[in-house]
Amino acid sequence: MTDAPVLAVLEPGLLTTVQDLGRPDAAPLGVPRAGACDQLALAAANLLVGNQPGAAALEISLLGPVLEVLRGCLVGLTGADFESVSLDRSTDEPPLRLSPGRSYALSRNATLRFGVARDGARGYLAIEGGIAVPDVLGSAATLLSAGLGGTAGRPLREGDHLDAHQPPLADGRLSPRVWPGPGPSSGVPISGPEVALRVVRGPHADLLGDAAWRQLLSTAWHVDPRSNRMGVRLTPSDRDTSNAHESMDRATAATPPAPELVSLPMTWGAVQLPPGGCPICLLVDHPTVGGYPVIAVVAAVDLPTLGQLRPSHRVHFQPMELTDAQAELIRQGAAMGEAARRLGLAEPGNRVAGRTGRTTSV
Amino acid sequence: MTGGQVVPFGDQALLAILGNEVDEALNAWVHTLVTAVLRERDAGVPWGRPVPAYASLLVPYDIHRLSLAAARGRLEALVQLAAETTPTMSPNLSVTELPVRYGGAFGSDLEEVARRVGLDEAHVVELHASVTYRVFMLGFVPGFAYLGPLPAALELPRRSEPRPRVPVGSVAIAGRQTGVYPSATPGGWHLIGTTEATLWDPTALRPSLLQAGQLVRFVPQLD
Repeated sequence: MTDAPVLAVLEPGLLTTVQDLGRPDAAPLGVPRAGACDQLALAAANLLVGNQPGAAALEISLLGPVLEVLRGCLVGLTGADFESVSLDRSTDEPPLRLSPGRSYALSRNATLRFGVARDGARGYLAIEGGIAVPDVLGSAATLLSAGLGGTAGRPLREGDHLDAHQPPLADGRLSPRVWPGPGPSSGVPISGPEVALRVVRGPHADLLGDAAWRQLLSTAWHVDPRSNRMGVRLTPSDRDTSNAHESMDRATAATPPAPELVSLPMTWGAVQLPPGGCPICLLVDHPTVGGYPVIAVVAAVDLPTLGQLRPSHRVHFQPMELTDAQAELIRQGAAMGEAARRLGLAEPGNRVAGRTGRTTSV
Repeated sequence: MTGGQVVPFGDQALLAILGNEVDEALNAWVHTLVTAVLRERDAGVPWGRPVPAYASLLVPYDIHRLSLAAARGRLEALVQLAAETTPTMSPNLSVTELPVRYGGAFGSDLEEVARRVGLDEAHVVELHASVTYRVFMLGFVPGFAYLGPLPAALELPRRSEPRPRVPVGSVAIAGRQTGVYPSATPGGWHLIGTTEATLWDPTALRPSLLQAGQLVRFVPQLD
C-alpha cells in the first residue's frame, strides 16, 4: 500500500487538525491523549469509507477549511453540519451539498468548501485509506500543546498537502453510503440548544458537599467561548445570570471550603470545580494531572456530545448511576458494531486502511 | 501506611487515594501499587495503564470484563498489599545524574532566590545539589518530572507572574519541589540553572529521560 497526495489546503479554517483515537496510554509520560473530541463521529466517518474506526482523519472546528481534491477518492463526513459543498469546475454540475452521516465520491480537481458549523462544534472528514502522517508515540493524533503528531504538531495551513494511504487497486472502489445506524453517527445534540449531559458523582463530590452538587444539577450552564480542546468552560447562563450568581453565592457560603488538593491524575470527562464556581469539563487535550476538585465525571456514553458543545448550547447536568452509565456505554459500542456490520465490515481489518490509533506500550 | 481508599473516577476507571500530601513515603506506596497493578495486568487482569500522581493512582479497567464491584475489591486488596510491602528506603535504585550550569545566564532567578531565602548563591546551589530527589510523577507537559523534596531552606512560592516561555532544559524550583522544563513552555517556577540533558524526545525509543519512581541528582558543572 502506498501513500499519495489526496487533498491540498486552500484555506485552513479556524482549527483543522489530523486526529485519530489518540494516545490513551501515554498519560504517565505527562502526554495528554489528544485524538478526536467526538470519537463516535471519527469512527463513523471512517467506517463509511471502509477504514478501521480509528484511522487518521480531519477534525474540523466551527469554521471549516477549503480543500482541493488532488485525486479521485471516497470521503466520509460526520459530526456538525458545516453546510459544506463540493464543486467540480470541470463539469457544469451545480455544487453538491454534502451532509454529515454519508460518504461521497469526489473527483480530481473538485473543491471541498466547508462553511460555519450550525448544530455542533466539530466535523470529521475521513478519506478512504486513512490520512497518512508519521506516527508519534504510536498515534497520528495532533497534540497542539506539545507541538507533536499530526501535521508537524500544528493545525493545517494554507498550502499543506495531505497524503492518504491508497488501498490496493484490486479491492476496487467502495460505493458511497449513508450511515445505517442503529445509533447516531456523532455526538451532535439533536435536542436544540438545551443539552443534557449525564454525569456520575466525582471523586470529590462528598468533599464539595450537597449544596455544590445540587447547584451543579440545577443550573443552566452556558458554554464559554474560551472553551477549547483542553476543556469546555461553563458559566451561569446569560439569561439566568443574576439569579445564578446569587444562588451560587449562597451555595458557596453554605459549603465548607474544599481543602487544597495535591495534584492528582485527571481524566477526559472530569468536571472540575475551581474556587470561582464555574465548572470545567475536561476534553482530550487536558493536562494529565491537576489540582482542582472533581465534582462529577461525564458518563463516557455522553463524551461525544461533550465534544460537540459550542457557545450556543446550554448544558444541564443529569445524575446517572454508575452501573447504568456502564450499561449505556456497552450498548453504544454494540450499536457501533452493528453499524459496521451493516456497512459490510463484519470483520474489520479486511479492508485494511489506515491505522487504528492503538498506542504501543510506553 | 494506612488510610488508602478506592473510589470510582468516571465509569471506566478507579482512583486509589492514598493521601493528600507531597510525601516520599506516600509516593513510594503509589509506586509499589503501580508495580502491583502492572503485574496483575501482565497476568491477564483487565487493568488499563495506571497513571500515578503524588499520592494517588488512576487505574482504568475494561468494563466488559470487570464489574465496578469486582474492580474495586481487587484494587482495594492491592492497595493494602502495597502498604505492607512498600520499602521504607529505596537502596538499590539507580540514580540519574543531570549536569547543571547554575546561575548567571543559565539560571536567571538564582540571584533573587538567594536574596529571598537569605543565603548566598553558592550555598543555594550546594543545597539544591545535595539531595537525591525522587520523581513523584510526570505531568503538566510531556516529560516534565516533579522532583522532591526540595530542602526546606529553599522553599519559595511560585513566581507571581509566570514567564510565557522558559528556555529548554531550565532547572527550576517552587515550594518543596524542583524540576526541569523539557521544552520551551510557559513556566511559573524559579529558574536557577540549565541542563544540557535531553529530558523529552518523542521520537526516541524511550521518549522521557525520567520516569515516576526514579531517583535524580543534579551535578553542578563548572565552566
